[in-house]
Amino acid sequence: MEYLPLIVMVAVFIVLLLLNVPIAFSIGLSTLAALWAIGGRPEFVTVAHRVATGIDSFALLAIPFFILSGMLMGRGGLARRLIDFAGTIVGRFTGGLAFVNVVTSMLFGSISGSAVAAVSSIGGFMIPVMNRKGYDRDFNAAVTITAATTGLLIPPSNIMIVYSMAAGGLSVAAIFLAGFLPGILMGLGLMFVCWLVARRKGYGEGEKSSFKQFLVKFKEAVLSLLLVVVVLGGIIGGVFTATEASAVAVAYAFFLVVILYREVKWRDLPGIMLECGITTAVVMLLIGTSVAMSWVLAYENIPQTISAFLVGLTDNRVVIFLIINLMLLIVGTFMDMTPAVLIFTPIFLPVVLELGMHPIHFGIMMIFNLCIGLCTPPVGTCLFVGCSIAKTSIGKVTRPLLPFFVAMIIVLFLITYLPQISLLVPQAFGYK
Amino acid sequence: MRTLKKLLDKSLETGLWIAMLAMTLTVIWQVFTRFVLRDPSSWTEELAIFLLIWIGLLGSAVALHRGAHLGIDIVVARMSERWARLTAIFVFCCVIFFAMSVFFFGGIKMVAVVLMTNQISPALGIRMGYVYLALPISGFFITMYAVEFIIDEIKLLSGRTVERMPETGRMDVPIE
Repeated sequence: MEYLPLIVMVAVFIVLLLLNVPIAFSIGLSTLAALWAIGGRPEFVTVAHRVATGIDSFALLAIPFFILSGMLMGRGGLARRLIDFAGTIVGRFTGGLAFVNVVTSMLFGSISGSAVAAVSSIGGFMIPVMNRKGYDRDFNAAVTITAATTGLLIPPSNIMIVYSMAAGGLSVAAIFLAGFLPGILMGLGLMFVCWLVARRKGYGEGEKSSFKQFLVKFKEAVLSLLLVVVVLGGIIGGVFTATEASAVAVAYAFFLVVILYREVKWRDLPGIMLECGITTAVVMLLIGTSVAMSWVLAYENIPQTISAFLVGLTDNRVVIFLIINLMLLIVGTFMDMTPAVLIFTPIFLPVVLELGMHPIHFGIMMIFNLCIGLCTPPVGTCLFVGCSIAKTSIGKVTRPLLPFFVAMIIVLFLITYLPQISLLVPQAFGYK
Repeated sequence: MRTLKKLLDKSLETGLWIAMLAMTLTVIWQVFTRFVLRDPSSWTEELAIFLLIWIGLLGSAVALHRGAHLGIDIVVARMSERWARLTAIFVFCCVIFFAMSVFFFGGIKMVAVVLMTNQISPALGIRMGYVYLALPISGFFITMYAVEFIIDEIKLLSGRTVERMPETGRMDVPIE
């Protein structure tokens, strides 16, 4: 039975997942099961070795630091400053407040790196304001939930560091750059939906702002926005590695919110550090166990098997990309993004490489695809947080979410079949 | 016994945030020496990675205690309370199996093997076997917390009440 280890691995994995065994442990246990099916007794020490050496990497240090700087930045008045700033730019249009929500999410997501934090911080401010101005509550929740995911594409972004590791050490700078246009494109797509809905429901125009007001609000937000400029400028200019840049981001965020704005107190710091440590551990355990899993996958030639199977179905790359996207969309509806990227990169990347897809293009496509999953039931982190912030239910938000999903899927198709959208910016900066 | 256990929880969490702080300061120091002093420090990279391994492994035990590990609860949420508790006991048994086999026994063997080869980290001169001690220690604490959860579930199944620490409970993890 050539396929026995694969079948055992997949079966054990799915059963454990459905029983709510933590995903990292499901990955580890299904790896042990596959080793057992291959024959002989599984060497526990080999798996332990893979897990420990999987975490043993300087590049991965960027993850806890971007989490930490995001936590520090997100606690202060960042959301309010960005909302005010975005308001002076896009507030004037029909459905202005919805536009403000989307643009703020793009900026906030870039600075804090967390879509969930974007939903709770921005939603906490914007949804009550939009409710008061006569916008429909469920529509407001839908805008906030979908717009928050743009921050995962607009750099810096932790999930891109996870992907670069899972793909065997791609340039983090190149992936960061590649996320810009797709993130902005998603934001524009969502704003287009907002505009259509606002026109139909007569939400009216927001306040016009003078250039002077713009300058005032820009001045208030500029120190926060500068964080992104320093981090990205440093990485892209080749001054810092991504890890060093993330440490600079922590130092800068600390200076800004603890010393300058005093929005975070000294006594809050141990709690923030602990929360960051726990989050880091969750990600690291996932990375460690999935390194062990992908080692078994490679040992069993499973990516080649799947590749042969897909190519056997059709040799049309348009169709294969479509199949991969559909599978990822399904996975995304019930699995969080980090484990999904860690599990499916080693499986699908060899397939698409064989079809001539650029690994950076694939990463962006995958992350964009899984962003949709964060907003879909039954399991969608952004969806859950958004519903609780807006005090509504998943059932009620689903309808207003639909047009946003349509927009996201259209953009997903553009990104899938037009590699230039992802590759143009990194190539302009000289990345191959 | 109970106070001892609380002391252990507290010291594990304190150790975790101090390690996080130390790791942050280490890399900030690295950047400072490289760009300001123009004399890059040689030991910072190694120390930061070792701290990351310890944070990742020991933090996994704290994350289990706090219910922070990611899981998929759509099926369990639809079960009756009795079945959900029985499933939870099974889940923690799975966790214990992995923690004991791979982290604890696999980890001990790995530490022994690496100590035997006398592998030494190039910059800090630490014996690498000690770095990997995080594996068995993490395996021990994960097992301890899983056993605690199993005992709680059995008590709840038999209609008794349990004393849960106020801070225990599902924590939102801002990864995505």
